[in-house]
Amino acid sequence: MPATISISQPQQRQFNPYSENGGTILAIAGADFSVIAGDTRQSEGYSIQTRYAPKVFQLTDKAVLAVNGFAADGNMFVKKVRQRLEWYRHAHAKDMPLRAIARLIQTMLYARRFFPFYVYNILGGIEEDGTGAVYSFDPVGSYEREACRAAGAAQSLVQPFLDNQIYFKNQTAAPGTSHPVHLPLSTVLSLVIDSFTSATERHIEVGDGLEMYVVLAKGSTAFQTLGGVRGIQELTATEDGEKVFIIRRELKKD
Amino acid sequence: MPMERILSPNDPITAPKMPSLPASSTHITGTSVLAIKFKDGIMMAADNLASYGSLARFKDMQRLQAVGEHTVIGAGGDMSDFQYIQAMLDELIIDEFTAQDGHSLGPAEIHEYLAQVMYARRSKMNPLWNAILVGGVKDGKRIWKINLVLPPRRFLSFVDLLGTTYSASTLATGYGAHIAQPLLRTAVEGKEDILTAEDALKILEQSMKVLYYRDARSIDKYQVATITARGISISESRRLETSWSFAEGIRGYGAQTQ
Amino acid sequence: MNSFAERFSTTTAASQMRNAQKLADEDELDTAMWGSNAGFGSLAKGVPTFTVPAVADPTAFLRLHTDDHADPSCRIKIQHGTTTLAFRFQGGVIVAVDSRATAGSYVASGTVKKVIEINPYLLGTMAGGAADCQYWETYLGMHCRLHELRNRERISVSAASKYLSNLVYSYKGMGLSMGTMICGWDKTGPAVFYVDSDGTRLKGDLFSVGSGSTFAYGVLDQGYRWDLTDEEAQELGRRSIYAAGHRDAFSGNSCNLYHVKEDGWRFIGNYDIAKMHYDGPGNVAGSPGQGYGYDVRVEGRTSTNAPAVAAAA
Repeated sequence: MPATISISQPQQRQFNPYSENGGTILAIAGADFSVIAGDTRQSEGYSIQTRYAPKVFQLTDKAVLAVNGFAADGNMFVKKVRQRLEWYRHAHAKDMPLRAIARLIQTMLYARRFFPFYVYNILGGIEEDGTGAVYSFDPVGSYEREACRAAGAAQSLVQPFLDNQIYFKNQTAAPGTSHPVHLPLSTVLSLVIDSFTSATERHIEVGDGLEMYVVLAKGSTAFQTLGGVRGIQELTATEDGEKVFIIRRELKKD
Repeated sequence: MPMERILSPNDPITAPKMPSLPASSTHITGTSVLAIKFKDGIMMAADNLASYGSLARFKDMQRLQAVGEHTVIGAGGDMSDFQYIQAMLDELIIDEFTAQDGHSLGPAEIHEYLAQVMYARRSKMNPLWNAILVGGVKDGKRIWKINLVLPPRRFLSFVDLLGTTYSASTLATGYGAHIAQPLLRTAVEGKEDILTAEDALKILEQSMKVLYYRDARSIDKYQVATITARGISISESRRLETSWSFAEGIRGYGAQTQ
Repeated sequence: MNSFAERFSTTTAASQMRNAQKLADEDELDTAMWGSNAGFGSLAKGVPTFTVPAVADPTAFLRLHTDDHADPSCRIKIQHGTTTLAFRFQGGVIVAVDSRATAGSYVASGTVKKVIEINPYLLGTMAGGAADCQYWETYLGMHCRLHELRNRERISVSAASKYLSNLVYSYKGMGLSMGTMICGWDKTGPAVFYVDSDGTRLKGDLFSVGSGSTFAYGVLDQGYRWDLTDEEAQELGRRSIYAAGHRDAFSGNSCNLYHVKEDGWRFIGNYDIAKMHYDGPGNVAGSPGQGYGYDVRVEGRTSTNAPAVAAAA
């Protein structure tokens, strides 16, 4: 037997500071409203960590932010955005406008260009001109205003459905008719629920619960639609005119 | 072969002291922690083993620790990092006590603090190599306007070396997340407000037993912490009643084939 | 580079990261972040500051976690893949780009704005990392405005592009990814400069950048002349992006067309690439009046491709 003494090296295992916690988020802009939604399952690998961990957060009465990716980074990022919005409120005695929040999020994400927040952000709400808006971001801050966007684990399942139902991709309008530019709130809510029930069926990281935030512009006619919605809860905090609501639904838990 | 030391950056003796990361196999580690909600509060369990790789090194490790009057934390992972965390939280509690401002830190505050520390350390690429459960009960807020005191609130949350956090009515770290968690969920979910302390203890005892049968880094000696509105109690170490006679009947895999 | 020189130099990637780390450590959140300065993110200090991971090789760290060419399964996907082109001619500058963003093999977006409107006289194109281009070209826009305020005249395209190239060169080796054309009109007339994240800066008449650039060049080189009319030039831009969208999997969806003249840039239009294949760009100046697709163009003129009317009968 060789007389070799092996001194065990202090294993310098490279620490991986990231994880992936599953779930999916989604936002759709209407003419004078915006819907921002996310499931509430948090997982790592094949383990469900919890059935209720929110991924969608109200920032102001006109802005709601959904975060997806690495949960610890997501929560920290939301915390930091909220801090900046509070400082803005103290300095300017008003809430930051949506498009300014979007640019703020870009610069905050890009500040971590060399150590990124592993977070896909979708920002939804109402612009200063009263239109519904959705902004989507990549982890290092490139962003774009869109009418709808899905992100996260089931992005590739949900986005094609939305392309078809919102943008009417690969659909031909009946002769003499045309596709609507904006859909009514009731239709949008149905599409969101269908997106998540379907994603739950076909993706193991999606399910348990669904939280949908609805942001209405000042005097939005979509307000009528919300009257009959089961379990709806109003979250409006200011008298600015915009209104925020949350609608919760169960999703399958298997 | 010449017996001379070669100066190289990989040499364990001469290498500059890097903020080296614990490789779980060469450090003192603890295994699973389990915790559940029950009618009156939170119950948590962890065994007393501190392993050194595959060696069962210390059999009297306390992995459950009271932090203040309302909270217990239980840790798996690197035990030296856990002891650092204990020292840090003890200091925090003393600072808060010294203020004598009529406030005290509850489980929610301690969990938030811990989560921030863990996340900050992972962001410095120098993590505290633990998975920790934070459980507790603290009086609900008093609503002065209508002179109402909300009932005591149970709190149970998780935090790990990445700063990942989550809450649920049953939690488990390490192997427990894979082996015990399904059992805990079946026994507890939907019955959080019905289960008595005796029920809760039975559930944890059974889960610890199942873990002991399959987790090679566990031991049959464990402690249970109970946190209710009345306060904290951490039990003396107790033994699991196990039976291995079934092993004689096992045929068809492993070495024993006849 | 030898380690002694690297230790004391001020322009290497390592020293840049050291400085960035120092700034980040000093105070990530200072008073400049609230009050009237609130809302400027990483620009709150006036210059951008970046958090750098505390590892021996931050660049390798970034590559490990973000580079989807090296590892398609890596977690953080940065949008890549593009066709962009710009050329100078008698009537100004034509800028044409596609609108597809891919993350691995997934089409992350088909509606990306790859032309960044720096100011009314300057355009920048976007290839490589979407965030790198968006962020630094926006930042360039701020400095172009400061130049106007300080010097009472617009910045030249040359100076603007040089500002950008010097800027990205200072981050060389840290993993920025951008290939851009800075296009505009200044005292010297129409101008196009190519700038990339390696620090290359080239003046020229005609450039195409991105994974589909070879296909665009094929059409572009064949049809390019200095004395193109505005209509011909716009059509050449469209036709080139169509070709790239058709043949490059990482390019497509639609074409955005801009025309820069003496009085600044003008957005000409957005053209669906599938639609261009079958029906052409529509009723626009320079349109051939039919689809660009080979099978569409030769319909009825080959034995295997009978006219639709004949086939139906």
